[in-house]
Amino acid sequence: MQVYLPIAEMSVDALLLLGIGFGVGWLSGLFGVGGGFLLTPLLILIGIPSPVAVASGANQTLGASVSGLIAQWRRDNVDLRMGLVLLAGGFVGSALGVQLFAALRRAGQVDIAVSFFYVVVLGTVGMLMVRESVRAIIRRRRTGVAASRAGEHTWLHGLPFKMRFRKSRLYISIVPPLLVGFLIGILSAVMGVGGGFMLVPAMIYLLGMPTSVVIGTSLFQVVFVSANVTLLQAWQVGSVDIVLTMLLLAGGVAGAQFGAAMGSKLRGEETRALLGLLVLGVALGLAWDLIRAPENLFSIGPAR
Amino acid sequence: MRWLALLVALLAALPARAQQPATTPLLTADLSTNQVEITTGFTGASVIVFGATENLIGPQTGEDVVVVAWGPPQATVVRRKVNFLGFWVNGPAATFPDIPGFYAIAATRPVWEALPEEVRRSGRLGLEALPLRAVGAQAPAFRAALLELKQQDGRWQEYAAPVTVAGGRLFSARVSFPDTVQTGDYRVEVLLLRERRIVARQELFLRVDRVGSAATIATVARSAPLLYGVGCIVLAALAGWLGSILFRRG
Repeated sequence: MQVYLPIAEMSVDALLLLGIGFGVGWLSGLFGVGGGFLLTPLLILIGIPSPVAVASGANQTLGASVSGLIAQWRRDNVDLRMGLVLLAGGFVGSALGVQLFAALRRAGQVDIAVSFFYVVVLGTVGMLMVRESVRAIIRRRRTGVAASRAGEHTWLHGLPFKMRFRKSRLYISIVPPLLVGFLIGILSAVMGVGGGFMLVPAMIYLLGMPTSVVIGTSLFQVVFVSANVTLLQAWQVGSVDIVLTMLLLAGGVAGAQFGAAMGSKLRGEETRALLGLLVLGVALGLAWDLIRAPENLFSIGPAR
Repeated sequence: MRWLALLVALLAALPARAQQPATTPLLTADLSTNQVEITTGFTGASVIVFGATENLIGPQTGEDVVVVAWGPPQATVVRRKVNFLGFWVNGPAATFPDIPGFYAIAATRPVWEALPEEVRRSGRLGLEALPLRAVGAQAPAFRAALLELKQQDGRWQEYAAPVTVAGGRLFSARVSFPDTVQTGDYRVEVLLLRERRIVARQELFLRVDRVGSAATIATVARSAPLLYGVGCIVLAALAGWLGSILFRRG
């Protein structure tokens, strides 16, 4: 069944979009991340123009994360104060990111820049995740207990502007969370992702937050930053396709519930290792596309 | 099926016409529709150009019919990828500021056989007769790439569909618009050729428009982008929330 996307100005098979939404939703439910990092490259792969894929991906991430946020909020797993600090950085970052995106689009480099961002970010994060989780698995096998890293002191604790985050049981400078939020805001705008797959490890390892509040707080940041990206992309680039978003969401929300049911049966370290491998796989696939000689050296597009 | 009815009417009129050649036109043509609507289920559309000629068409009489369809102008940029530190990035670009977004030509005989070059050039008949002036990179490869890629995605067509002739005088041709067709005013030119000259021509017009929800969405997104953005946020959030209730397991 073909459906016409009014902003992308093309028609796409609706079942294909529902299927992609379901698959990505299933994986995101399984791993507890938004799945935007899989969605945007897949959309570009089936021929959706990069600006529309990025903007609608952010819009979809928003929808997909809302129900998770509500559930976490009800269970009192959101550190609101930390969330607001992250968000402050995230708003500035995403506003800047959309400007960067618009500039790249004017320069005609948007497709390559998006791929490049994906390769660098996913490659780095994937590698770190795999390495960390493999280490954790080995350590657990050796000692029989999962290591705890809370309470360790690093150079981050020497920074000024300290604030008490009661729910996270932290007394740290607001500079690191502001920076983390800012960087993820930029990536969110350029890559059309929520950034949960980076935010979660950053919160655990960089900020030292307890795992119980990490998912809820990252969802808080993801929902509001992706809302901001949606708004700015619609306003300044004009590339949010609501028909595309809704089709992806319809599949995605169903898939996420199935994935979540399955995910609760997996162990933390194994899940992280699998997610890391998946992230690395996407990065390698995109890197290959950037490196190999293109079939056609030329491409056409509307002039702006 | 307006065009079928007209064809039948034309067929019936043919013998009558032959008896009074002084008053009958050399060429009459019309379109099956003068409006192409882009709905939510739009996958492309085709319009039939049909008509009749006074004399027989074909190699015996040397008369040929040419159908040309033009879309609104659409500035297009052609980019060439270059290898930069091992990565393929967009390098030099050529912008073609004034070329038709859609162009299709169909004929009973290719125009390069039927018309001299200067006539093809002035009438812009055939893809190689289109003036493709570029701003920026000037290498001929950009022009070639433009021709190739535009034909690949179906927005420029050269003899992609035939002009079929029935009974020696009735002709019809199908102009197919891809799903990526732009909205706007389209012009269809029907030409009658004889002895390497254009002896008669008729211009027809049609409009491509978005209708229904596709039109509403595109209009709101363009005219009130901020409102549209807020709408997208609210809709996505509602859909996510509703979906999680509908599909909740356990």
